[in-house]
Amino acid sequence: MLEVRNVDAGYDFLQVIWDVTFHVDDGEFVALIGPNGAGKTTTLRSIAGLLAPPRGDVRFQNRPINGLPAHQISRMGISFVSETLNLFPAMSVYENLLLGAYTIHNKATIQTNLSFVFDLFPHLHERRNQLAGTLSGGERKMLAIARGMMSSPTLMLVDEPSLGLAPKVTLAVFDALQALRQRGVTILLVEQNVSMTLHMADRAYVIEQGRILLEGKGTDLLNNVHVQKAYLGI
Amino acid sequence: MSATGNVTQSTQSIPFIRRMLSPTWITIWLTVIVVIIVSVAKGPFALVNSLVTGGMWALMAAGLTLMFGVMNIPNFAHGEFFMIGTLVAYFVFNPITKYLRQNPSPALAAIAPFAGIILAVVVGALLGFVIEKIIFSQLRRRSKEQWVMNTFLLTAGLSVVMINGTLLIWGSEFKGVTRYWDVDPLDFFGVNLPIDRIVAFVIALITIVAFWFFMQRTGIGRAIRAVAQDEVGAQMLGIDLNLVHTLTLSLSSALAALAGASLLFMFPSYPTVGLKPLYVAWYVVILAGLGNVQGAIAGGFIVALLQTLTSYFIGPGWEDVVPTALIILILLFKPSGLFGSEVKGVWEQ
Amino acid sequence: MGKHAWTRLKKLPPNSTSSASNARRTMDRLSGWPLKAGVVALLFALPFIPPFDREDFLLYLIGAALMAAQAIAFDFTAGYINVVNFGFAAFVGLGGYTSALLVVRLGVSPWIGMFVGAAAAALVGFFTGALTLRLRGIYAAVMAWFVGLALLGLTRNLTDLTRGALGLNVPTLLETADNRPYYYIIVMMMLITFVSLRYIINSHVGLAFRAIGQNIEAARASGVDPTRYLVLNFTVSCAFAGWLGGFYAHYYGILTPDVMNTSHTIEVLAAAYIGGRGSLWGGALAAFPLIFFREWLRTSLVDLPGLHLVIYGLLLILVMMYYPGGIAELLRSIQRRLKRPFS
Repeated sequence: MLEVRNVDAGYDFLQVIWDVTFHVDDGEFVALIGPNGAGKTTTLRSIAGLLAPPRGDVRFQNRPINGLPAHQISRMGISFVSETLNLFPAMSVYENLLLGAYTIHNKATIQTNLSFVFDLFPHLHERRNQLAGTLSGGERKMLAIARGMMSSPTLMLVDEPSLGLAPKVTLAVFDALQALRQRGVTILLVEQNVSMTLHMADRAYVIEQGRILLEGKGTDLLNNVHVQKAYLGI
Repeated sequence: MSATGNVTQSTQSIPFIRRMLSPTWITIWLTVIVVIIVSVAKGPFALVNSLVTGGMWALMAAGLTLMFGVMNIPNFAHGEFFMIGTLVAYFVFNPITKYLRQNPSPALAAIAPFAGIILAVVVGALLGFVIEKIIFSQLRRRSKEQWVMNTFLLTAGLSVVMINGTLLIWGSEFKGVTRYWDVDPLDFFGVNLPIDRIVAFVIALITIVAFWFFMQRTGIGRAIRAVAQDEVGAQMLGIDLNLVHTLTLSLSSALAALAGASLLFMFPSYPTVGLKPLYVAWYVVILAGLGNVQGAIAGGFIVALLQTLTSYFIGPGWEDVVPTALIILILLFKPSGLFGSEVKGVWEQ
Repeated sequence: MGKHAWTRLKKLPPNSTSSASNARRTMDRLSGWPLKAGVVALLFALPFIPPFDREDFLLYLIGAALMAAQAIAFDFTAGYINVVNFGFAAFVGLGGYTSALLVVRLGVSPWIGMFVGAAAAALVGFFTGALTLRLRGIYAAVMAWFVGLALLGLTRNLTDLTRGALGLNVPTLLETADNRPYYYIIVMMMLITFVSLRYIINSHVGLAFRAIGQNIEAARASGVDPTRYLVLNFTVSCAFAGWLGGFYAHYYGILTPDVMNTSHTIEVLAAAYIGGRGSLWGGALAAFPLIFFREWLRTSLVDLPGLHLVIYGLLLILVMMYYPGGIAELLRSIQRRLKRPFS
């Protein structure tokens, strides 16, 4: 579904990723793991259209999308949950979710998505009239993910959802991702929490210093020596 | 409603009494008390006069603050759209009036002012659209450095071009109408209420309500508010920034033009007629808090009241001095404005 | 990278006599003292050089020099601490009215009056700055604008004092009707303004200004108290504005509240930005062609009022959109090009 080929990208004069190539097939749960500053967020932003990669191709469902503006890519069915969340602080949880469904015109679908999301995150349902800026860190993450789900996406790009979260909340987040996967949504997850991610993912790529180092099945990578030494503390 | 709003107040968690004592509500109570006292002492003129201009200032301030909140552009040419409104209204209404002198028709006479007002709104919106497409979208693509200051200066240049362009093309004479409707004024508790003023107030009221509805309850309105709060987040959800920017600028100019056209009987059309509305709009916006649309609307009425009172009690020439002193004082204590502002980029130069 | 990294570093240019370095040295020498002396000499000689020896051109030169000096004072604030004094014209007018009233009512000499005018403008500038420069950026600019409007309103309304819109007749600096002495006076004032402000900019105070203008938080972290420097800069700029206002009053001989109009601020602002913000001399340079253009328009197309302002406005817009560095930046890039003809 998603093909990234030989992508270079960066900011101004600083190149961050080199010759990045990977793919995500329909229905897969693929992880991109690596240390801080490896280029994971840059990669996701290049796919989502917030960055225009000067070199390389990004293809979604066989159509080239590199260079397209972010809102167009979003309308094609790609949903991006950024690390900085980008919530609307002066709007309520409910309004944020409604905006998540901006590209959907069918009222019934919106209602269905809303119920799905509230089932998954009952906490959010309790706080649906609360202003997003007043939520706690964990609640905001949940809202960001929930909002990303509201557009009935085909592909979800999630950037470090567990960052800064208490373990209980992290579990809730991963449960939500699991539920999505069961619904048939394709997921590309960027994470630092390697062990949990690799247990869940179908396949994973390891990216370090802007280049893809390793690729393999989630379970296989768990047994990889480098991964164990660098990320699992074994 | 908030295009942006005061985030630290959640609608449920602050106890009612404390909320009533926040700067926002204190200002509102103070205003109500002042109005009551003055009305009882001197008659309802204060309330009545303030309502008419207040409504228009509210519209202009709302447009100005919306533009700043959404596009981060401090529009110094905002008053010129008011002026364009008066110009269009004049050039529509005047010929119709001449025609009506030969062929009187009460129906046409009743509708004529509205024709001018509606066309003014259309022209205002179109002009805003053109300016966004030709100037700001280009600038956005080229460089976003020092955006706020650069656009401020750019709009100052735009203002000069519009004022003097109008001067060149249509001259400096006052083009006014004595009244829109040739009907006797109403008598309201001893206050003379010309029909023109009543209609202007009703127009302002309807527009404010429609604007509120648009911003709060429609998808596009919500999208505009989203862009004001987090541009990147809005993009990620499929919102087309170009569309929102164009819409915002058109809306802002249309509101200013509406104000100008509705008040043609009070403000005749001449090139610099927009300068006072510009000043008032900026005053309201800074007082209420940059980017705060609700605050701007409430502020419009409050400042109108302030002007009426200053003019009556201190003297018509002091309308500029007293408010300036007042706003300096208020900003010393509450730099974000009376009602608070949460705007991205307002501190960046 | 390894041990060969050092050899890959670019070699510094040797002190050779190649034509490239010759060009560079010539450029350096040219833009130093000779250029400055040449400009000053030109300015002093101008009234004797045709076509500038005409009476009307002399008038334009005086207007241009006055605008140039104002642009310098304005750029001192706008180009260095990044604050747009949008009420600038009001400070000029304040200086003018103060000086004029002192001369008219108390018989003080206009020369002294001009300095008192500067002091008055500095005082009001100080309070304006102290009260509003805590808020930066757009807030400061708009508040300065409000203060300017308030001054305008006051001047218009205190008719007992200022005669308001009727106009105040002001005794001139000199008895003569000849314009040439006035030209030299204003050129001297312009040069004094430039040299003084340039001196401040090059001092450690100026360094603080630039630090604040670029990144106020970093400046604060480096131990610089921004507010103090912001207010200092603003006050000094207003002082010069007031001083120049004194000249205006005692040259043109008549004052109306209209001199404080925002459109005059915009004219000065346009000159400063078209000339190049942060250069001090850019606005002065731009002032001459701008004023000459305005006067040429005024005399040749009498029935097109306001056209010069339309052009100013368009130029300002174009500069903001396409070349924010202004003429100064253009000249600097040409100078750079000349220094490295082979690059």
